Amino acid sequence: MIRRVAIVGYAQSHHQHNMQKTREDMVFEVCKEALHHAGILREDLDTVITASTDFLDGRTISSVFLSMAVGAFLKDESKVEEDGTFALYYALMRILAGTHDVALVEAHTQGSTLNPHQVSFYTLDPLFDRQVGVLNDVAAAGLQARMYMNRHSVSEEHLAKVAVKNIANAAENPCAHRQMPDVSLEDVMSSKLYYDPIRELTMSPISDGACALILASEEKAREITDKPVWIEGVGSCQDPYLRDRNIQNLDSLKSAANTAYKMAGVKEPLSDLDVAEVSEKFAHEELMIYEALGLCQEGQGKNLVESGTTRRNGEMPVNPSGGALGADPVCATGLIRVIEAAKQVRGEAGAYQVPNVRRALAHGQFGICAQKNTVYILGGNGS
Amino acid sequence: MGFIKDERPQTICVEGTWSLSSYHYKGSKLLEQYVKGLKQKKLIGSFCPGCAKVILPPRNLCGRCHRIMDGRKTVSDRGTITCYTVSPAITKGKLKVLGMDPVETGLIKDGEILIPVFVRFDGSDSNTDTILLNAEPKAVHIGMRVKVIWAKEPQGALSDFEGVEPI
Amino acid sequence: MKRNAAIIGCGQTKHSSKRRDVNVAEMVSEAVYNALEDAQVSMREVDAFIVGNMPGFGGIAQPEQWLGDWIGAAGKPVIRIATGGTTGGSVGQGAYYPVASGLHDVVVAVAWEKHSDSKEAGATSGLLHVGLGNLFHAASYGLNLKNLMAMSMVGAAAGVAVYQAVFYMHRSGCTIEHFDMVAAKARRNAARNKYAHLQWPGCTPEDIAETELLAYPFRYGHICPASDGASAIVVAEENLARKKARRPAWYKGLASYSDEENQLQSENFGGVGVLDPSEQRGCWVSAMKAYAMAGIKDPQKEIDMAELYQPFPSQELIFAERLGLFDEGTAWMALEKGETDINGRMPLDPSGGVNATNAIGSSAMQRILECALQIMGKAEEHQVPKKVSNAVAHGWGGVTNYSTVTVLGDSPGR
Repeated sequence: MIRRVAIVGYAQSHHQHNMQKTREDMVFEVCKEALHHAGILREDLDTVITASTDFLDGRTISSVFLSMAVGAFLKDESKVEEDGTFALYYALMRILAGTHDVALVEAHTQGSTLNPHQVSFYTLDPLFDRQVGVLNDVAAAGLQARMYMNRHSVSEEHLAKVAVKNIANAAENPCAHRQMPDVSLEDVMSSKLYYDPIRELTMSPISDGACALILASEEKAREITDKPVWIEGVGSCQDPYLRDRNIQNLDSLKSAANTAYKMAGVKEPLSDLDVAEVSEKFAHEELMIYEALGLCQEGQGKNLVESGTTRRNGEMPVNPSGGALGADPVCATGLIRVIEAAKQVRGEAGAYQVPNVRRALAHGQFGICAQKNTVYILGGNGS
Repeated sequence: MGFIKDERPQTICVEGTWSLSSYHYKGSKLLEQYVKGLKQKKLIGSFCPGCAKVILPPRNLCGRCHRIMDGRKTVSDRGTITCYTVSPAITKGKLKVLGMDPVETGLIKDGEILIPVFVRFDGSDSNTDTILLNAEPKAVHIGMRVKVIWAKEPQGALSDFEGVEPI
Repeated sequence: MKRNAAIIGCGQTKHSSKRRDVNVAEMVSEAVYNALEDAQVSMREVDAFIVGNMPGFGGIAQPEQWLGDWIGAAGKPVIRIATGGTTGGSVGQGAYYPVASGLHDVVVAVAWEKHSDSKEAGATSGLLHVGLGNLFHAASYGLNLKNLMAMSMVGAAAGVAVYQAVFYMHRSGCTIEHFDMVAAKARRNAARNKYAHLQWPGCTPEDIAETELLAYPFRYGHICPASDGASAIVVAEENLARKKARRPAWYKGLASYSDEENQLQSENFGGVGVLDPSEQRGCWVSAMKAYAMAGIKDPQKEIDMAELYQPFPSQELIFAERLGLFDEGTAWMALEKGETDINGRMPLDPSGGVNATNAIGSSAMQRILECALQIMGKAEEHQVPKKVSNAVAHGWGGVTNYSTVTVLGDSPGR
């Protein structure tokens, strides 16, 4: 990268099923808190990039009444649709280009406004899949899960183990939606079945939530904080449409990760990275993500869960914050992963802190069967 | 190179719907306080302790100060027209709102001319959009002084504020 | 280290009220293929895509996930930007940053709208949706129905643009006849642009004045159409740009500063603190920042032509002043003198602009694209006769609070 850029502040809401707050209040509070966390004022911002979608917010031009809430009054502002990690990508580009120095990135969704799974139906090919009317993101995930499980002899118990790991982790995270400290394998395996093998507890909850993050160029970052979290690598990629791709693999994630690894000089992900925060909207996706990120060979994802490698106290903790299974305010989910990864690097994760994190990975996705993926490699001062 | 498509002059048309009515929006409590004021024939705006602006109807946030406008201030029910537009005569079949013809339902008289206006009420720093009643379309001008027409028996609803008329 | 970026290829589709010969994916790819062909760049060389439209109008959520394959976006980063009326401007600016940041070398930006895919005229559901939440909210507090009718009447004509025009007339002294002149100019210019929608060779202000008055001060002939269409540009880093294009259009300055929302109501039906919707502080600040970045000190002298976002004729005059191309309150005088004509001192919207062609998501992108064509000398029939070294492209949208200002030039700015 032609310039070093760091995360210098962040905030997130207490994600929950139906937040008793207006969209405006929710967004305003996280932005205010993120500025406070960084110790800067609204006046210090050069640019604001937000992420939300019109269909999920239920308003055409979803950002338009929120420009004041995010602090964009007479600021260079833009809105990226879909996941917050794409907004971060845009903000990062703006700083790298040298046109801006300090950026605020915000993402939000109130799942209680409209069921996000219904919205996923509207993303389908309008000429065929939408006419047929049998698919949505959960149904497609069911197909994907079965194909993956069949190919690599993965059992429903493996998926349940992923869910138990993440949901138990979420119980330590006060911001997470699911608070089920005593969740057991039986709870997961007996939870409501939606599309086989997708159950209530092997898919992410529908949450209301928002998050905001402050990004700064190297010079500004050093002025603002003693603990900047550097963005060492970034990669993004989109897969072909559902019908034209092999949904057994997350090829675009693999490509995004390789780009980010190359930029950050990561050669052996399992040993070079200390922790990963990934957006697994379904339990089986986490196993596929392990493989796409190169944490293990293809088909070996289940072994990482079996062996406890990805537990919070394991060799390579994945989602110590609970991940998307802990809380999923759709557009904010990926950006929350970046925030959680930054927290780990700064040692601010509290009860779910992983010891000695120098380098962390964060992943955001959007679309049916994780069609679009973005990967960030974050590092502290020592890395 | 170039994208060429000449198999047929028209694409096939397929139908699709998008359910606009299934959203659950969350509203704030601001209007609740506002309509309580209307019931007492009072216009209560929000006051920003940061920049001292008074906005009517009350709004939640001041973007300039990036803070909640938590103050309240009652403003005069007299004000000045800052902007206006004049409709052509509205006859049956001319206007349809939410599937209803306002002339048919009796809300607007056949041939009535509507004068939507912006009014800056004395003591406020915002435009309130409303309608000018009891006035000749030719007489309306920027700077015209007006006052609120209150409902005879205010119910504590936005419709208690029926419009404005020249003083 | 600073990296320069330039537009090396432009592609657009024919615009009309109903493109029934193509579906939305085919229409978007038409623009992308045309741009790649113009730039002499193959699909394989493209590193990333920036896309955008107004999703509510086509009824497809995140359409790039489905139609990405049609434009060769599979296996590449795709960022979707949507900011209402400014969508095209935001997409066009969004294509600068991937190159300037050094993350990518060749980027395709494409923006589109297919109004005819929506059953209701003017994409009513999509537009209404902007304030639908507010309306429901107000309805639960006993909304004044007559007031709602008045608002709908204004909204059906032109929304807040009506008020904006009255404010501008009041403070500048311009009259409704000047709006007739702008609209006639837009239709005449459009007749020279083969991609434009409302073409009317030899249209005169008198022709426009004969049309019905919709809501003072707008006549039927003042209002922009609803078009189907797409536009795309190819942006490349300096070395490649010099290799591929004889005369690339360099990005010199760009900014998109947001103002307070100033369309009638804020979130949750609250009031709005903007007293004059024609003041447009956001546009003014954006212009100052963009000129500063481009090293332009006196826009009246250094800018050679402008493409403004003017769905309503009043906006051409308002924004020409906001962009510093004319002194405050004098744009209509320049219009009278013919200075803003295609062969005038400061040609405004030689392509016919949004007033003649309005595929909303694409409209602001077309302004950037048209400026690039003028700089590259590829505008054919509507090429302005003088040499174009610096051009400014403007976009406007949101609830009249978003502005994008992009300065393009025949040499890199920094």
